[in-house]
Formats: sequence, C-alpha cells, structure tokens
Amino acid sequence: MKKGKKRVSLAISMLAAFSLVLSACGGGGNEAASGGEGTAEKPVDLIWYTIGTPQKDVDKVMTEVSKYTAEKIGANVTMKMIDWGDYQQKMQVLVASGEPMDIIFTSSGGFDYVQNARKGAFMELDSLIDEYGKGIKDTINPAFLEGSKVDGHNYAIPANKELPQQEVWRFNKNVADEYGIKTEGIRTLNSLEPLLKTVKDKAPDITPFAMDKNYVPYVPYDYVIQNLPMAVKLDTTDYKIVNILETPEMKEALTTMNKYYKAGYVAPEAATTGSTTDLMTSGKWLLDRAQTQPLADNSWSASYGYPVVSTPASDAIITNNSVQGSMMAISANSEYPEKAMEFLNLLNTDPVLRNMVDSGIEGTHYNKTADNRVENLPEAKNYDMPSYSLGNNMLLYLNPNDPENKWDEFKTFNEAGVDSPILSFNFDPKNVSSELAAVQNVKEQFWSSLMTGTVDPKTYLPQAIEKFNQAGLEKVMAEAQTQLDAWKAENNK
Amino acid sequence: MARKTKPKAIRDFQQITPVWNVIFNLIAGIFAFMCVFPFLFVVIISFTDESVLASEGYRLIPSKWSLGAYQYIFESGDTLLRAYGVTIAVTLIGTVLSLFMIALYSYAISRRNFRYRRFFSIFAILTMLFNGGIIPTYMIVAQLLGLKNSIWALVLPLAMNAFYVMILRTFYATSVPDALVESGKIDGAGEFRIFFKIIVPLSLPGLATIGLFSTLGYWNDWFNALLYIDNPNLVPLQSMLMRIESSMQFIQQNSANSNISMAAMGSLPQDTARMAMVVLATLPIIFAYPFFQRYFVQGLTLGAVKE
Repeated sequence: MKKGKKRVSLAISMLAAFSLVLSACGGGGNEAASGGEGTAEKPVDLIWYTIGTPQKDVDKVMTEVSKYTAEKIGANVTMKMIDWGDYQQKMQVLVASGEPMDIIFTSSGGFDYVQNARKGAFMELDSLIDEYGKGIKDTINPAFLEGSKVDGHNYAIPANKELPQQEVWRFNKNVADEYGIKTEGIRTLNSLEPLLKTVKDKAPDITPFAMDKNYVPYVPYDYVIQNLPMAVKLDTTDYKIVNILETPEMKEALTTMNKYYKAGYVAPEAATTGSTTDLMTSGKWLLDRAQTQPLADNSWSASYGYPVVSTPASDAIITNNSVQGSMMAISANSEYPEKAMEFLNLLNTDPVLRNMVDSGIEGTHYNKTADNRVENLPEAKNYDMPSYSLGNNMLLYLNPNDPENKWDEFKTFNEAGVDSPILSFNFDPKNVSSELAAVQNVKEQFWSSLMTGTVDPKTYLPQAIEKFNQAGLEKVMAEAQTQLDAWKAENNK
Repeated sequence: MARKTKPKAIRDFQQITPVWNVIFNLIAGIFAFMCVFPFLFVVIISFTDESVLASEGYRLIPSKWSLGAYQYIFESGDTLLRAYGVTIAVTLIGTVLSLFMIALYSYAISRRNFRYRRFFSIFAILTMLFNGGIIPTYMIVAQLLGLKNSIWALVLPLAMNAFYVMILRTFYATSVPDALVESGKIDGAGEFRIFFKIIVPLSLPGLATIGLFSTLGYWNDWFNALLYIDNPNLVPLQSMLMRIESSMQFIQQNSANSNISMAAMGSLPQDTARMAMVVLATLPIIFAYPFFQRYFVQGLTLGAVKE
C-alpha cells in the first residue's frame, strides 16, 4: 500500500502543525533545568541540527569542538546533518515529535523560518540576545537582526554574510571575447539585444541567453511572497501592493522576452527545463542572469572551469529573502536555551570555533599557511561543510585563491545595500490559505511560459491576470494590504 | 494466449481468430514496449559519455559510449556497496520475518475452531482503515522502541501487513480443506507439525506471492530510512537514490541563491552516474521475479476467490 509522496508530505505538515500547537503550549516548563550544570567540569550537551550532506568526520570534529566549548561556555556540541533535500520534511517530523534538539538551521529555503517561527517551533530570542548574545549584536550587521524579525520578535540568529541581493548579467568570457562583445553599458534587459543578435548570427550552436523555468525578468519591485505576482515598488511612498503582471515595467519586460524568444536567443525548452547545468558544463552560452555576492565572478569561474564576468542588472536591495537566507534558531523545547545562545554568540564572534566548525581539525583537515589563511589537506573531503549555513562568514580564514580584502569587500557590499520598503514585513497567509493554493495553481499554469517569453504576452497576459483574479488573487492582495498597512502604522514608516 | 497445439485444420475450440490474435499481440507488444522503454533508455544514458550528454542531451544512440559512470561509482568508495549490503540484508531478513509472521497470523484466523478469530481479523482490518499517522509512528519507533539508526527500524515497520494477511487467510480457507487438518490430528500431529508439514507445502503459491510482495516492498522502501536513519553507513540503496533526487529538486528551487546551489551541487554525482545507480539498483530485483514467477499467477488467482 504505497501512498503518493505528496500525500505523505501533506499529512506530515498537517500533523506537524497540530502537534506544534501542543508542544508550544508545553514548552515553557523546561527553562529552569540547568542548575549547577553547564560548567567546564560538568558541561551540558547541545544538539545542533543543520543542513548538508552528512560528512564522515562530523563526530570527530565535534569532539574537538566540544573540548573547546566545554572550556569556554560549559557545553558539549553534537551536530546532526540532514541532507539537502530531506531537511524540510525530516525536520518537520523531528520537531513535531519533540525529538531533543537545541539549535536548528532555518532559512527561507529550508525548514521555512517565518512559518515555523509562527507555529512555535522556535524560541523567542529577544531577551536571550540581550543577556547572552551581546557579541552577536556588536558583530553582525544590525540590518540582519532588524530584518529577520517576525511579528516584532527575533526567533533566529542570521549568519553574517552578504546582506543585499543584487542581480547581475553573467557573461561567458570565452564566448564574449571570441565574438568581440563588449559588456560595458549593459544593464537593462533591452540593452542586451545587440549582443544576443551578434552571437545568434555568428554562432548558431551557442545559446545566447541561458535560462531555466525559474527565470523571472528583473523589475524594481519586492515580492510579498517569493514569485507570486504581488509586489511593492521599491521606491514606493504609499506602500501599495500591486499585481506585478499589471505593472508597465513587467509588461514591457515580457514583451521584450517574447521578442528574444521569437528571435531564438532563448532555448526553446526554457519554460520547462529545470536547470542550465548542461549549458554551464559545455560552455555553449553567452549570458544569463544570476544573484551575485562579492567576488562571485571568481567562484563562478572556478566552479565552471572557464572565466565568467558579470555586470550589475539591478541595485543591491536588502529584502526579507536575503536577510533570511541562513539562520540558526533555538528550539522551543531546548533544555538549555541560555547555553545554546551562549554557543551561538561564541560561534558568531570567535574565529577559532567558527573555523573549526567550518574546516575541521587543524593538521588533519587543513593547514594554516598564514594568520588568516588555510589550505585544505586531502582529508578535507571527509569534512566538506557548506560555509554559508554555519554562522558568521566573515570570521572564516581565507582560501589560497581568496584576495586579502575578501571580507572588506563584503562589508562594502553590505554598506551599499538599500532596504526594501517592506523589509521585515512577513505576510501571514492563514486567512487566505485556500485562495493562495488556487493562485499557486494558476501560477504553475502560466508563470514559466510568460516569464521566459515562450508565449506572447499580448494574448496570454490578460488571460493570466483574469485567471489569477478568478483564483482569488485580489482577495489575497487585499488581505496583504491590510496587514501591510497595520505593519506600516506600527513601524512608523 | 493462443498456442498452436493442434494441427492447422482443426482450430482449437478456445482459440481466437488469427486476426484478433495479431491485434491483441500487437497491443500487448506496444504496451510492453512502453513499459520497458524508459528503463532501456536509462541503461543507454548510463553508458553515455558525460561530455557528450552535456552537448547533445539524451540520445537513443549517443555518439560516444563510455563506462565512466560505472567506473566512477565503483571507484567512489564503498558507499554504494554498503548501501547495497544494507538493502540486501534488510530485504532478506525482512522477507523471511514478515512471511513467517504473516503466515502464522493468517493461518490462525483462517481456522474455524479458533475462538478469537473474529476479534483478530477485525484487529488486523482496522489497521488497514486507520493508522496513527507519521508523527505518532515516528515517536513509537524512534523514541519508545529506540530503533533509531538501527537496521530493525527498516525491517519491523514493514513486517506485518494486514492486506497480505487477508489475502493469505482467504488462500488458506479456500485451498486447504479442514479435513486435512483433522486427518493430521487423528494421526497424532500437533499444531506446529500440522502447520509446517501439511499447510505450508500446500500453500506454497500463496506464500510465494506474499514473499514477492514483501521482497519488493523492502527493496523499494526509502521512507523509513528517511525518517529513522541518520547514520550514513545504514542508508539503503533506494533511500540513497531518493536523497540524490530530492537534493536535485532542492537545488532547482534554490537556484537563485548561489550560496546554496554551489554548496549542494558539489555533493551530487553526474547525470550518467545517477542513471548507472538506477540500473544497479534495479537489476537484482529483476532477478527475483523469475524465482517467484512459477507460483505467482497461480497464487494471485487462487487467493482472490472467496468461498
């Protein structure tokens, strides 16, 4: 008797929602549990769930980490890694069943932060940060803590990393050089046309504009929910939520995309293809759009094996999505929330601990070549961790290829970021959840083909707008507007 | 199927006309091809050269063949072999155990003189209609029984299956006459001797059917491993494939975030290697079919008819 995967996950989420309500009610009693424990002689055990492919040497490294943390804050650390794709589903079961845990990785893309904070999976951290997390407040960019508030409270500590989101046009430098393409002065979608045309005419086997079905033309709006057509203009003064499909910017962009598609600049299968990995491997593409961070060109070039350069396609904007990209929360049923916070504080301020967690044991997994530089040893393959998910990135030692001013570049980049008008406004969908599901279905039907330019917006855009409205988008927007107005009044915007 | 056992002149009474014979064979053939084709395609892709795949896409006859994917898998360490071992162990232990439990349970409730037969039948049927859901099941298995990160967490949850119990009960009731049990009694055999010497040999087709179902169930199970197994050394084959698959989806959903996709991408094998893993995961179970097939058709029909 097999059940469909969808049904299983639906069942999980419903049960999770239900039992979270229960566990949230019973969560208050545990806080006074740590009397006499939590010293270097008698350390408490912290359990830390994080995302990533489980690594062989995790336990080995954590034993070393524990030696250090036991001395510093009186806590041992056990790390449990759950693979990328399993994280969401498995964490829901683990949290709902009350499995013991203290620190939980959460983000907008894995074990959703806002949703689970509202359900009561995470402990509210406001006072804990004030008491045990002073270092965090001093170290990381204040916009992170400010922007990751849910309904006015902090439920997780964001990792200090690149703060704003900025879109860039990436160019395959080999192809660009071969056909004499200049990337100066490129910024808007329209400005790409001569480049695309050159390559299309001269090299028919190269895809001029690489994209997959998730591509959405950039327009200067911030989405209330990622990729649903409700958005607020970035330079808004009246905080009005609009249907992105009805904005002149999007209409123009879609018309341009359709023109590009008809001219063959875009691969015919763009609206259905899941990734551009094949194109990237073969190197037969001219340009695409991506999100950048400082020195991204270097890491792109390194991972593809050929030079990639980029020019900005948008301003650097600080959005909810960028702030909530990687965070660590304390579980609502944590036995030692104070210790957990002390640990998070240490992790975000202490380079020794942070680098041990990231690269493993010195001499086994890496060697230090200078004060702030490391070099991986062969054993590093048994402890290959995703740096972005493990706390303050700016404490990390540099790799052999990193420039000396790497973290300064990040700081400059972060300084340049502009707050989105709706930064830290988190829409609560509970009143319109059925409409939202219907809207999501309509989106599946129209979104990719419109955004990639596969269909003509003249005929399909009005159809899509009508279908969205039939599905209840207007009601969702009205609800969002009410919440936004309330939020605006509360925050004196 | 029409088989020509008699001379041409006299047509078999049960044979259909040649025209229909051809048509039916065609339809069955096309259908069979549609079932087999995707797997054949997977086999072809697994033997395709990775660089050709990137430039040409999937092709029926790739311009360059390669054994690279299989080489990669066998050289990439013991992960796959270990997963194989876990799957085989779980399947063997599980099939034997579940066959044993199901056979005994359904035998008991198939005997008319067993007083609590109604109670135990309903007890089993209830689990088909209602179940505790995932969270309570998880709490029982992982927290109450403490089976987390143990091979038994993969074996025990699937060992008992009410549906199979019902099939086998009906099978016993229809194919083994009560008189046989009585005759055994008269000759002085105890209950266990009756069961193992008389009932089991007579119900081999039914047992083989349930055995095949169990084998498939254990071989293809990935969900229990997702819930209960964290230890990388205990991950079964299908769960490993599922992890790769769901990690792929995760990357696609987060493709805008270069941090995540770069970090996750490094941990994934290439296209051809994934296909090769599918081939390696499927092959052994294909060999299980002929073994059971002797009994299979017979078993299904025999068990299906109620008295």
